Formats: sequence, structure tokens, C-alpha cells
Amino acid sequence: MTTQWDADKPIYLQLYQQVLTRILDGYIKEGEALPSVRKVASQYQINPITISKAYQMLQDEHVVEKQRGKGLFVKLGAQNNMLERERESFLTQQWPQILQQIKRLKLSAEQLLLPQGEEKS
Amino acid sequence: MSKLISISNLNKSYGEKRVVSDVDFSVHEGQILGLVGPNGAGKTTCLQAILGLASYEGDIDVLGYNPKTEREKMLTEVAYIADVAVLPKWIKVNQALTYMAGIHPNFDRSKAEVFLAKTNIPLTSKVKTLSKGMVTQLHLALILAIDAKVLILDEPTLGLDILTRRQFYTHLLEDFYTENKCIIVTTHQIEEIEHILTDVAFIQDGKLVLTESTENIRERFKLVAVTEDKAEDAKSLNPLFANSLMGLTTMLFDNEPNEALQKFGKISTPSLADIFVGVMTKEAC
Repeated sequence: MTTQWDADKPIYLQLYQQVLTRILDGYIKEGEALPSVRKVASQYQINPITISKAYQMLQDEHVVEKQRGKGLFVKLGAQNNMLERERESFLTQQWPQILQQIKRLKLSAEQLLLPQGEEKS
Repeated sequence: MSKLISISNLNKSYGEKRVVSDVDFSVHEGQILGLVGPNGAGKTTCLQAILGLASYEGDIDVLGYNPKTEREKMLTEVAYIADVAVLPKWIKVNQALTYMAGIHPNFDRSKAEVFLAKTNIPLTSKVKTLSKGMVTQLHLALILAIDAKVLILDEPTLGLDILTRRQFYTHLLEDFYTENKCIIVTTHQIEEIEHILTDVAFIQDGKLVLTESTENIRERFKLVAVTEDKAEDAKSLNPLFANSLMGLTTMLFDNEPNEALQKFGKISTPSLADIFVGVMTKEAC
């Protein structure tokens, strides 16, 4: 299976982000192994160096750790740490922009809290 | 990363006609280099020179061997699938394995058998009864079993359907590649393997027109969607390529900073195929 990559962003960053999201969403659990570089390379048809680079970033940020001879494993507490970090980055980076857009469009809290898909009045 | 192949001043002529001129490049451990060019650009000739299959002028070093004088020793660590890859039609799969075991000192028969067990190729079949895709798989089995450090693939997936092509690269990455090996591959289907490659070399009329890592190439080249009123201005930056459609001109630029380009329109990153077409058309002008 191949994934459609965004041409404007390096693939290793996208892969890194993808793994983070998978961990946050609970698809890869703490203590579980990441698939091997070889496996990801052949499934996604991307060169193994790209994958090693993404995996290295995850190691540098202490999301995963190497177990000798066995590969990379998601660290205990990684999900919470990431949740903290991602919240922080959302609140400081994305949220101010969204807030600005909300003001620009003069959206009320009521309209924003309407369940998705419901008819807007 | 140590250098596995180095080529300098490679030249080759057939009579009066020069088919390769002053080609220089090197391949390091871990690299997967795509040698890309139109038909007749000199790709196969370059590969044949590296393998010592064709005479040439210049210097080539493969794993410390000179392909001209040490070809036999070199081939214990180098494997090749030719674009005209043919195995004798009458040979049975297990006979091919026995033959390889007999002539190649590094051939590991069990490795080939393990790989073949994953395919639907029976060991007792004759080559003439196998489909084109199966023959390619058999070739791959023979090559995996050699555990070569250098693998050279000349249009390995030519004439195969998309499923078999993908399967070929899946096996290549899963069963062959490691970070201390290198692969050189030529293909016309670059869009299918652009993410697999770590490096590309574009060749045209026997000359290398661009060699770059796939990481840098995405930094270097930019596509800009330019509106008509700005087209003249944008053209002054010498795009490699401009294509007009419905009031928007898509231009390809090499090595122009984003700051200079963004005033003309939306910037995006071209695919390897876009860059190839751009570079080739420019050279042809």
C-alpha cells in the first residue's frame, strides 16, 4: 500500500507526524514496537533512509527508545508527554490563527458548538 | 558512508558517434541512484561500462576493482539485471539454482529457495512456462541469493503490469536492500519510484545534466503558478519550462529563492517527472 504524500513537505516529516498521530490516537500503544524500517520502506515504497530519519527524530524527542536487537518501542508515558506538548503547540501556534479567522467570519460560540453536519441557521 | 562506485571521465564512442561523454559520478553505501534519461541517452552503455561488459575510456572503480581487468572477482559482489534479461527457456527453476550454485562462489541456494517459496513459482517449472513477471521474480531470487553489495538494474520492470512492478520494488526493499549496499536503477516510470530513490542522475545525449540527492532536488526546483499579468516579469528569471493553460502559466525554476518567486504566484514542489521534463526540454532548446 502506498500513501499519498504532500509534495511540499519532506516525507520524513510527514512520516514523523503520522507516527505521532498514530500514538496520540492510541493505534500504537505505549510499550509497543514500531514496524521495522524495512517493513515501512517496502509497504510505503519509500527509501529506508527517509524512514530512519523520521525514526531518529522520534528517538531524539524521547517518544520511542531503542531496545538492542529488537527495534524501536514507544516509551512509557510517551502518550501523555506528547499530549502535553501537542496541546501546548496547538494553543500557541494554531489556535491564535483559528481565533482570528473566527473573528473575521463573525462566528458566534453557538454556531461553532453546533454538532457537525447539522443544518446551520 | 564509504564510496562503492566511482566513475570519472567516462567516454565511449561507437565509431564516429560519441554515446557517453565525460560522465563523472559516484555511488555511496546506502544510496539508491536512479539513472534517468530518454531512450538512447547512454544509460545502458554507462551500466555496461560499470560492469565491464563494454570497452570504455576513463576510470571506473567498483568496490576497489577495475571492471576491465578484474571483472571476474568484481562479479562475486556485483549483481545485474539487464533490460533484455533472459534466462534459457528450457531450464527448470531448480536447475537454474544448481547452475548458479556451481558457478558463483557467494550463491546461497537456501536464500533463493526461501524467496521463491513466497512467490507462486514452482521449483520444477521450466522458464518457458513462466510469465514475464515470474521470470523477473526468478531473477530477483538469483540476485538476492548472491548478497551482492552493488546491484545494477536496467529497466527491471519493463513490460510488467503495475502489481508486479510494485511487488518487485517491495521485495527489493524488504529482502535485498541494507544500508551498506547500493543500487543503480534505470527506468522510465520515475513517478513510481521517486520516493524510493535517494539520488538521481539525469542523462541526455551521453552527458550528465543533473546529479542531485532527491532531498536537495526538492529544495532546488520550484513550480510557480503565474497569472497572465505577471508572466513577462516571471519569465525574466529564466524558467526552465513554462506551460500556459486557462490564463495560468506554470513555470519551473531552478535555484531561485522563494522570496523572489512568491510575488508571481503560488509555489509548489514539482515531482521528479516534472523536473525531468523541465531539464530535458531546456537542454534540447
